[in-house]
Amino acid sequence: MTEEEQKLSPKQRSRRNFLGQSLFTAGAAIAAPSLLNSCQNKTVSASNALVEGETMIGLKINGQLKTLNIEPRVTLLDALRENLGLTGSKKGCDHGQCGACTVLIDGQRAYSCLTLAIMQEGNEITTIEGLATEDNLHPVQTAFLENDGFQCGYCTPGQICASVALLEEVNNGSVSYVTRDLTNPPELASLSESEIKERMSGNLCRCSAYNGIVAAVQQAAGQTPPSPAASIEHSQVG
Amino acid sequence: MKRIDAIYHVRGEAEYVDDLPLPAEMLYAEVFASPVAHGKILSLEIKDALALEGIVAVFTADDIPESNQWGTIIADCPLLVKDEVQYIGQPIAIVVGQTRAIAQKATKLIRLEVEELPIIVNPRKAFSQGQIIGTPRIFVLGDVDSAWEECDLIVEGNCEIGGQEHLYLETQRSRVIPLEGNNLRVYSATQNPTLTQKTIAQMLGLSCHAVEVDVKRLGGGFGGKEEQATHWASLAALAAWHTGKPVELVLSRSDDLKMTGKRHPYSSDFKIGVTNEGKILAYEVKHYQNAGAYADLSTAVLERTLFHSTNAYFIPNTRIFAVSCRTNLPPSTAMRGFGGPQAMFVIESAIAKVAETLDISREEIQRKNLLRLGDSFSYGQKIKTNSMRRTWLEAEQTYNLTAISERINHYNASHFETKKGYAVMPICFGISFTASFLNQASALVHVYTDGSVSITTGGVEMGQGLSTKIAAIASKAFGIGLQRIKIESTNTTRIANMSASAASVTTDLNGNATVLAIAQILDRLKALAAKELGVKDTENIAIAKEKVIYAGKETDLTWEHLAKAGNLARINLSAHTFYATPGLEFDRDREKGHPFAYHVCGTAIVEVTLDCLRGIYQIDAVKIVHDLGRSVNELVDRGQVEGGLAQGLGWMTIEDLQFNEKGELLANNLANYKVPDIYFMPDLIDIKFLENDDNSPAPYGSKAVGEPPFMYGIGVFFAIREAMKAFQPQIEFAFTSPLTPERVLCELYADQLRQMNSHGDRIRLK
Ligand code: FES
Ligand code: FES
Repeated sequence: MTEEEQKLSPKQRSRRNFLGQSLFTAGAAIAAPSLLNSCQNKTVSASNALVEGETMIGLKINGQLKTLNIEPRVTLLDALRENLGLTGSKKGCDHGQCGACTVLIDGQRAYSCLTLAIMQEGNEITTIEGLATEDNLHPVQTAFLENDGFQCGYCTPGQICASVALLEEVNNGSVSYVTRDLTNPPELASLSESEIKERMSGNLCRCSAYNGIVAAVQQAAGQTPPSPAASIEHSQVG
Repeated sequence: MKRIDAIYHVRGEAEYVDDLPLPAEMLYAEVFASPVAHGKILSLEIKDALALEGIVAVFTADDIPESNQWGTIIADCPLLVKDEVQYIGQPIAIVVGQTRAIAQKATKLIRLEVEELPIIVNPRKAFSQGQIIGTPRIFVLGDVDSAWEECDLIVEGNCEIGGQEHLYLETQRSRVIPLEGNNLRVYSATQNPTLTQKTIAQMLGLSCHAVEVDVKRLGGGFGGKEEQATHWASLAALAAWHTGKPVELVLSRSDDLKMTGKRHPYSSDFKIGVTNEGKILAYEVKHYQNAGAYADLSTAVLERTLFHSTNAYFIPNTRIFAVSCRTNLPPSTAMRGFGGPQAMFVIESAIAKVAETLDISREEIQRKNLLRLGDSFSYGQKIKTNSMRRTWLEAEQTYNLTAISERINHYNASHFETKKGYAVMPICFGISFTASFLNQASALVHVYTDGSVSITTGGVEMGQGLSTKIAAIASKAFGIGLQRIKIESTNTTRIANMSASAASVTTDLNGNATVLAIAQILDRLKALAAKELGVKDTENIAIAKEKVIYAGKETDLTWEHLAKAGNLARINLSAHTFYATPGLEFDRDREKGHPFAYHVCGTAIVEVTLDCLRGIYQIDAVKIVHDLGRSVNELVDRGQVEGGLAQGLGWMTIEDLQFNEKGELLANNLANYKVPDIYFMPDLIDIKFLENDDNSPAPYGSKAVGEPPFMYGIGVFFAIREAMKAFQPQIEFAFTSPLTPERVLCELYADQLRQMNSHGDRIRLK
């Protein structure tokens, strides 16, 4: 036993031994119920060299071109979070059922968990990190902030990206399921609450900050939010 | 005031566990879980999984060096099961690989041989077979047995109450970093850092101080991370400890749905006796709680059911029986309301049944029996507020209940295929952990020489706005600007022995501890200020707007100066304080005591429109009068009321947590487990806060707000039921929740369905 090992508690020593032995017998996995393999296999994204099965792609994200080596089956969401360190987009389900991963692709909203990164080469991708400049928030971000459009905040990046796209869609004259007169699409100034709700129904918020979210979209659309959230600003202590 | 972390949220900068930059050589753990609800493990073959390139290790129960058992109340749950699996989704092994995808792939290569054993999913069946957890409990007030004779009407019935998935949008996750000396740093989305710390220490045979748990914030908890986050953190820790590498474990949504416990389903019987005037004289209830396979927090949840079985009413003679029943489902766990909602649903059902039998409105009976100041609960405590009646009357008047009722009657008389209904839902919820010892908290406050302030408490931020409220409290207590205050992550090295962030009391407890810490620092600084001002009467010194005030007049001394001068004068600018709610006790032998610091009351009116041909409904309005005490942050409180309400409405209506007879969760993704979306929300939510400082020991007379509003949601069940009655007055509907559109149809057309059935069609009532 080395001097250093003697300083360790028996438990710690046993862990050392276990590790040592396991590494020694790596590969011979028959006798013991569980074993450690050698850690010398491929290291993830540690070098720029292409690993078998990976492809090099270029993605235009928030105005910057990024190259990355990924397997073709990697979703845009995983590429953003795991390869590019853009962790603002969240994974709530990975199945296109919650909206937490919503980003903008060429200005249109998309669930980034439902599209492969490799399919988005050449397209303009905007994530929550790309909406604000250093000093200025995007008006939708300001609106969420001012109307308390969140609680835990986990759905928020997706909600904000969806709202940004929503405004654009309305500007472009798109209709929705609840639009009464299809020949006369709503305008931002008169976009009704039920239009907003319908158009935001692809984004879940389990905290149910929905009133704040509606109010935020109203504000971003240039309306005066009737939501109480906006009007009670100064009634707290201090 | 905005939420303190609002700017991080809108910029996408807010950090959750797996948003932290990746440490070098991080490994990923995936869970291999039981595919059957009950069975004996005959063999487990991990060879193929281990042989996969990129797989570093597979760990099973044999690799746990010390304790494989865990659980706050009863340590009956194995971290990795070895012999007998008890529910589908129970962890058996963890696979550790260099990428998540490889680890996932390897879990599919593990071969398991199980001999299946009989399973139980129904709590009554479990009870009849003696499968219970803890002991049955009985609360008694007055003498029910002799009271029945005085009643003019006695009705009986039963309730089947569904469970609920938390569906925190951030699934369970943890990242564990090995440190020198075999210590571990654990980043976990846990509501209970101390439990996580202790469990990991016991699992590995380490001292608590060797395990540091750090929690920045949670992407939602709702109770689902109070007990159960610890399981996943422990498994990640096991892998990190063995491999010596950072390990991350993130449950996928489908694993999270399958492997974690939910709100307890209940099956309950009630018997209620009233006078001709509608006065409730006697109430007897039996609650069979579906606890799932292990104790988890079930007995504590059961206790809260016992405490809330008469909700907002004074009933002189009651007998409440409740028992936790062991079944082969994932261990049911804490969820917003913690057993209170189920209890309230049953008493409201009993009242509905009386009203329907007497052919009078529910609220006539509700109103007559509301708690008054000084009334006793079955557990011996007396209510110290009159706000139960106040909120009811205020709701009745402000929202004009008579007009609502007339409007709806009028509508129903003139409409055939759509009907409206409304219900009044009063709530009275006890505030405190019912295990009295948990009602303690600490705060650590530092003032730096530039006047900035750092605060750590034992509370976890999970969207309930704790940080925002603590900052508001601190800003007020110090008399300085909010921008000077930073709320730190929750960390076991800064605060030891925390209670979970739960029971709606996190702000009460940690806020009070913060106030105490600030008072200590202020006392020292005021003495210094007195010296500098050349006066002796420190009691006349205050700080407001960052200036020292003496005898009501602003002086030249600033906060910044005090902070710097304090350091030069060798004054301690930090404080670590402790708060314990006074006066709480409960004697479990007598089932009497004073378990709650205070009660939160409120009244909601819920209005719905039902499409009687399709079974679908719209929640038209929810109008609430809620006793909030003095709000520390009304924005946050409003969010809590709306969020709680939405979850309560969802629980009663669309959130259908079905298990089949094999114990398999049928609601296994977000397509077949529906939670309220933005479109589901009521068209109108009106909230009036009853300001009131009558009895709150919470900071600045505020009151707990996290859980109580959940129970307003119960009203929607009875509102829909009213609409159903308006369409089919002759049918006796069941008290079965959730009242999904499908169930509404099945109940409205039960006769037709039965006829179709007898013709060989395969439509069945659930
Ligand atoms: S994570 Fe993409 S929709 Fe849920
Ligand atoms: S803020 Fe928590 S999920 Fe939306």
